[in-house]
Amino acid sequence: MLRRIAGRAGAPAADGPAVKPIGRPYLLVAPAVAWLLVFSIAPLAFMVAISFWKSSIFGTKPDFQFGNYMRLFTDPLYGNMVLKTLRIAVTATVIALLISFPIAYFLSTRKGLWKGVFVLMLFLPFWTSYVVRTFVWIPILGRNGVINQTLHWLGLIDAPLDWLLYNEGVVYVGLIYVYTLYMTLPIYLSLEKIDPRLIEAALDLGARPFAVFFRILLPLCWPGVLAGSIMVFLLATSAYVTPQLLGGPSGIMLGNVIANQFLANNNWAMGATLSIVLITIAVVPLLIVGRWIGMRQVFLGGRE
Amino acid sequence: MTARAAAADGRPTAAVASPYLGYRVALWVYAAVFYLILYGPLVMIAVLSFNDSEISGFPFRGFSLRWYGTVFTSPQLIASLGNSFAVGALAALAATSMALLLALGFRHAFRAKSLVLNLILIPIVIPGITGGIVLLLSFGYLGVRPSLWTTVLIGHINWVLPFAFLTLYPRLHGFDRTLEEAAMDLGARPWTIFTHIVFPLIRPGVVATLLFSFSLSFDEFIRTIFLTGFDRTIPVQFWTMLVNVVAPEITAMAVIIILIPAFTALVGFAYLRQARRGERSAAP
Repeated sequence: MLRRIAGRAGAPAADGPAVKPIGRPYLLVAPAVAWLLVFSIAPLAFMVAISFWKSSIFGTKPDFQFGNYMRLFTDPLYGNMVLKTLRIAVTATVIALLISFPIAYFLSTRKGLWKGVFVLMLFLPFWTSYVVRTFVWIPILGRNGVINQTLHWLGLIDAPLDWLLYNEGVVYVGLIYVYTLYMTLPIYLSLEKIDPRLIEAALDLGARPFAVFFRILLPLCWPGVLAGSIMVFLLATSAYVTPQLLGGPSGIMLGNVIANQFLANNNWAMGATLSIVLITIAVVPLLIVGRWIGMRQVFLGGRE
Repeated sequence: MTARAAAADGRPTAAVASPYLGYRVALWVYAAVFYLILYGPLVMIAVLSFNDSEISGFPFRGFSLRWYGTVFTSPQLIASLGNSFAVGALAALAATSMALLLALGFRHAFRAKSLVLNLILIPIVIPGITGGIVLLLSFGYLGVRPSLWTTVLIGHINWVLPFAFLTLYPRLHGFDRTLEEAAMDLGARPWTIFTHIVFPLIRPGVVATLLFSFSLSFDEFIRTIFLTGFDRTIPVQFWTMLVNVVAPEITAMAVIIILIPAFTALVGFAYLRQARRGERSAAP
């Protein structure tokens, strides 16, 4: 059966080569598929089950009840936290988009060596720890931080400003600093595909830059904008490090509440329930947009 | 500058572009500010790591390597650095091997292909914090004690696998199959074709994937924090110090944590460039 499917599906595609690639497809994908089924899908399914269980001081016991989900609506703490997290994530996404567009356009219009340098400098922070890149704001904004010391040195303040750290505003600073690149890159890649002659032609014909932006650039790089927005929204909704490190009590988000169920309250059932809420709000937009512009577009950059 | 670039191009853009000089200048200024904010804080941390002061931060009291000395003489920090290297190497090896097989499989057309692709992408799409928690719940229930070689390694392989596939797949997808077909026509067996033709052609891509995977694993924090036992990886160690007592060597640690994966990734980019050049020259 396996062989029959593979054999038939392996028949030459219209533009493809006549000779079949080596190996049997199902055998080749088997190790990774088995790995993910055991260590990714099964644990996820198990978490869904636990969200119906009951946690008490005696531990978490198998059950089938909707108490955890009911608490989302009866306990205002949880409902408000979900709304606050959504608000922060949406705002951060919009700001990241506004910051990213000009820089993506800048990159797409560079040429030669400088382009390589600028693009590499944009790629490189992806490969540095976001914990460290969040931490850097403490010596900048802290009581003895660069800003306070500079203001003091300039004679503008007598005592250090305390409100620079540990509030919701700093969470935006941290989230945007770390995650804007996930927006810039897809927009840049989609701007790259636009034929520069289109813009030249529009300018030749007397179009103003604003018209060029709204009628040529934006419609053509829409998939990149959507892909970037989805990524930043997903990362921002599930933030833990940034609010924990910079946010203080007023800046905490859903991720911190979830972590506390495991690290402090020992309420695994509620933690599982809140995790499912988080997955839902983070993944549903991705599924909608993925259907719209094609999931492959988001991840493979339209290579297939 | 702009006019010169356009003139060198031989295209008549200069005349059109000049009315928008203001926009171009603004764009350059914007880019300068963007990169300054992107790299400024990192440079500042690097400067602070050499500060000869018991209190982490400015003012700068003189150049000193003592905090690096502290990091490299602390058994705990050395151990966590070693843990990160070991987990990173193993995770990279496991994920790249599975991703290579996957990418070879994806050269075929088969029925469950898009289903398998969606499955592969799940670990990227699931919020990081839940990526750790699902494993914590399952292993906790099964009574598996969290440790470096069970929970942490499994969590890291989950996380790295999709990226390894997304790096390798284009290497195998876009490659010229003429040589491979010739060998097949001449009766070479699939294994021979793989070891003698396919693998040598994609080797730079495989090396790049290994390096990127290592880099990703080295930086991983949010899953690891829920899966770690007594042996911490370096980002978890950094976090623990940050949350408990901020020691003056924290900036030196930050620099080390930034440099190792960034350097690894940079070498990865070099290999990727080589791989792409190879593909281009092999293309008919």
